[in-house]
Amino acid sequence: MVSFIEKPRFTCPLGGALATVNALPKAVAILHSSQGCGGNSNGAIQGAAGHLGSGYCGGSATPASSISEKQIVFGGVARLEEQLNSTAELINAELFVIITGCTAEIIGDDVASVVRGYNDEGVDRPPVIFASGAGFKGNSYFGYDSVLQSLFRDYVVKSDKKTKGKVNIWGVPPSLDVFWEGNLLELRRVLEGIGLTVNTFFTNKDSLAELKASANAELNIVVSPVNGVAAAEVFKEVHGVDHLITDLPIGAKATEAFLRAVAGRLKLKKTLVEKFLATEKDNYYHFFNRISDSYADIDLQRYAVVVADTTYAVALTRFASKELGWLPKLVAITDTVEDYQEADLRSLFAQDLANPDETVVFETDTSQMKERLFERWPKPTGGKYDRPFSPAFVIGSRLDSEFAESIKAGHLSVTFPISNRFVLSRGYAGYHGALHLTEDIFSVLVAKR
Amino acid sequence: MSYLHLKVPPTRDERLKPCGAFGGTIDDLVYGHKEGCLGSNGRTFAQATGCQLNLAMGMAASIPNTVVIYHGPVGCGAGSLAIAGLSKQNQLARGNIDAIGRVWMSTNLNEVDVITGGEEKLKQAILEAEERFHPHAIFIGNTCVPAITGDDIDNVAGQLQPDVKAKIIPLHCEGFRTRFVATAYDIVYHGILRYLLGDDKADWRPENEEELRDYQERSKRTVNLLNVGSMGYVDEVELVRLLNAIGLEANVYPCFSPPDKFVKVRDAALSVSICATHDDYFVEHLKELYDIPYVLNTIPIGSDNVRLWLLEIADFFNIREKALEVIEAEEAELREALKPLRKFFEGKTTFVSTGEIRAGAQAVMLEQDLGMKVLAIRTHHYDKFGEVVFDHFKGRDDITINVATAQPFEQANLLNRLKPDIFLGHAGSNVWAARQGFPVLPIYGPVNSYMGYKGVFEVAVRLERMLQNTNYYNTLGDTTTLPFKDFWYDEDPYSYIQQTQDAA
Repeated sequence: MVSFIEKPRFTCPLGGALATVNALPKAVAILHSSQGCGGNSNGAIQGAAGHLGSGYCGGSATPASSISEKQIVFGGVARLEEQLNSTAELINAELFVIITGCTAEIIGDDVASVVRGYNDEGVDRPPVIFASGAGFKGNSYFGYDSVLQSLFRDYVVKSDKKTKGKVNIWGVPPSLDVFWEGNLLELRRVLEGIGLTVNTFFTNKDSLAELKASANAELNIVVSPVNGVAAAEVFKEVHGVDHLITDLPIGAKATEAFLRAVAGRLKLKKTLVEKFLATEKDNYYHFFNRISDSYADIDLQRYAVVVADTTYAVALTRFASKELGWLPKLVAITDTVEDYQEADLRSLFAQDLANPDETVVFETDTSQMKERLFERWPKPTGGKYDRPFSPAFVIGSRLDSEFAESIKAGHLSVTFPISNRFVLSRGYAGYHGALHLTEDIFSVLVAKR
Repeated sequence: MSYLHLKVPPTRDERLKPCGAFGGTIDDLVYGHKEGCLGSNGRTFAQATGCQLNLAMGMAASIPNTVVIYHGPVGCGAGSLAIAGLSKQNQLARGNIDAIGRVWMSTNLNEVDVITGGEEKLKQAILEAEERFHPHAIFIGNTCVPAITGDDIDNVAGQLQPDVKAKIIPLHCEGFRTRFVATAYDIVYHGILRYLLGDDKADWRPENEEELRDYQERSKRTVNLLNVGSMGYVDEVELVRLLNAIGLEANVYPCFSPPDKFVKVRDAALSVSICATHDDYFVEHLKELYDIPYVLNTIPIGSDNVRLWLLEIADFFNIREKALEVIEAEEAELREALKPLRKFFEGKTTFVSTGEIRAGAQAVMLEQDLGMKVLAIRTHHYDKFGEVVFDHFKGRDDITINVATAQPFEQANLLNRLKPDIFLGHAGSNVWAARQGFPVLPIYGPVNSYMGYKGVFEVAVRLERMLQNTNYYNTLGDTTTLPFKDFWYDEDPYSYIQQTQDAA
């Protein structure tokens, strides 16, 4: 039963939607919600996302209807109309996205009619669409999906012509994946490397024009087993473009598998692909293998605990096990998951863990991680031949640093929330990203030398 | 004016009728507010702010060994994620050695709960909070959704209290109920008054007769020093130092104070507020319920206001002469220390933006103590308590006043016109000044000194440092584009403020 959560590692759909719109170049969100939703979201999607900041028109600049008791009783449509018109008058943007919150949806404001009225006016103003962000409908990952769905239905134009070799990348939610932009840039790089034309939509290499025209792609690639999957279904339904669901690749082995899967699906020429893979592999191990002296001399193998959302749980477990040669003994997935979904999610780890049923647990609450660990590892008794959970490392979020300290394990903040690091262009995906991740993890191991 | 018989105290909108949107001169503001014509001002273009939930729960969460439960969908309270480690540091700094930092839960209400109610989840959360953390108190912050769907958090609290050691304190801090987030302070104080002060445990007073007499003697020279969650420990230390210097003792409440210490509030001779916006609700109730008089005038920022603050306290105890001695000595020492810095500030201009009390006092400090010129003051809201701090600027038509909570669009317009040398602002607003190329000093923070005499010196030293190298901010200004259209900078900055019922 889904119940309360202690220190939730996500915010609500409105927050996720806001993060998504803020990351779209020249798009501006307009909140239609209670007064505090914007301000409250900022801590989560900015401060806890590697100090991402407010961006172009986010943070305390986010246009908002800020409805209060009066609108809740009498309706908020008039206020929204007023705010939409004044925003279009004052703010430079190429697209406005109205995001509705709990109160606006409970009182049943007809936002569609406001949008129609605006668009019907025919004045030369940026287009507006709207997305549902009601807090009780899920969490911030749902918000990402919700904005994508609205974009796919109401912004992306229909196209009968499909361009061979053109792909769209989805599944990396801005802010919620704290390394989102670096990740997308690396994914773009490697897919271009095998000869594809790539759109990632949320980076500084992207534009709204490309988003609008994205229905002429040959394939959508969703680099997450869960994020953006429902939206990809909508893309298929509305624009007839199919999708491939993969994991988020970290490291040479995972990225090779990823690129081969894409190449296979698109029936790309083998020679070009293999040439690229060979060059990248060489380059990767040229740098990665530098850790070998210290790895061997100091014994840098570790028992690992991974605390993450579904996507990163798979990606990090695979990287830790296959590339670092580490031993994940607890993988805690912090998403809210229904009982019937658990088996499917555990099966994602089939190639990485000897016993996913035992190692993978669904735990939302920070204070419970230690208990979860000692259900899978003998508790220390102080005896002479205790098998300590050592040497160990926790790859998790900022919230897990105290747990790591309590079991004398190393710690790196990789998953959301991250308030103790700044993240700019750094990614962890692909080849380059994995080298960054290796540097960051191993630097922790030698921090006191 | 006790409201303690009510489950939910009145909002600031009803009780103080503040103004949230205004532009003009100080005299227009003070006069307009008195006439009562500014309260209905709103904006036809508005930008996102926080709500009273964040402020209320922030204050509650500062109290060590407590758990806050956000009763609502999972997003309410997510802002806590940005400061996961900060609270523990703040608590440890004040000697709360068993600090567990900020512990919060969400009842994570979903679509089903919106229809069938979320009280069951709240019960589970309370029981689990008790089981896991054994806190001294559990604050329940109610949010928009359960307020609309009709969850009764007081009822839940009452039902569970017999089974739970922690004091369960329901807080009605739903975001939509007020346009002025400062209502949050009243809500938390309401909870503290109802649930933490009524404790009649005799063991907070010494049993031994001699010790009891000592305690009562000391109580006659003890004040309740009311702090705020945004101030650093260093500011508390400085204010207590000054009170000690005139022969008084101080107990600091409520932020960061362990809950079992609260009951001693009732024994003090006087309550001393440092911010009327924060405390007027609390001190009025302490007077009415426990006969404790209070001083509530200004914030001790800048030597003018420190003098005002300290003298009013001294007058209550009839120790004005002693206080004047201390003040003269401190001011002389400060003036000496500021001498080498003052020439640096000559001719420099500034722009301050934050809550009404702090903004007014800080502006006075910058002019009086540092010799700078204040070009504009922005304040989050304005009510009758602002008069005492703005009194200093009566007749000063050269100072622009803008009443706004954030609203960077108005700030950008004003900054473009006024072009100060440095901007002092509130978290969330500073970046918008920075992006126009202006150097910024945050106007409050958890680590630095701002209050008392030490505060004057430290702010001066930091301002001097910042003005020595403005490269970072200049470059930022050159490489950023603000989202407002060009025409905006030629418009009246207050064109979106209207006396209208619909506007935000």
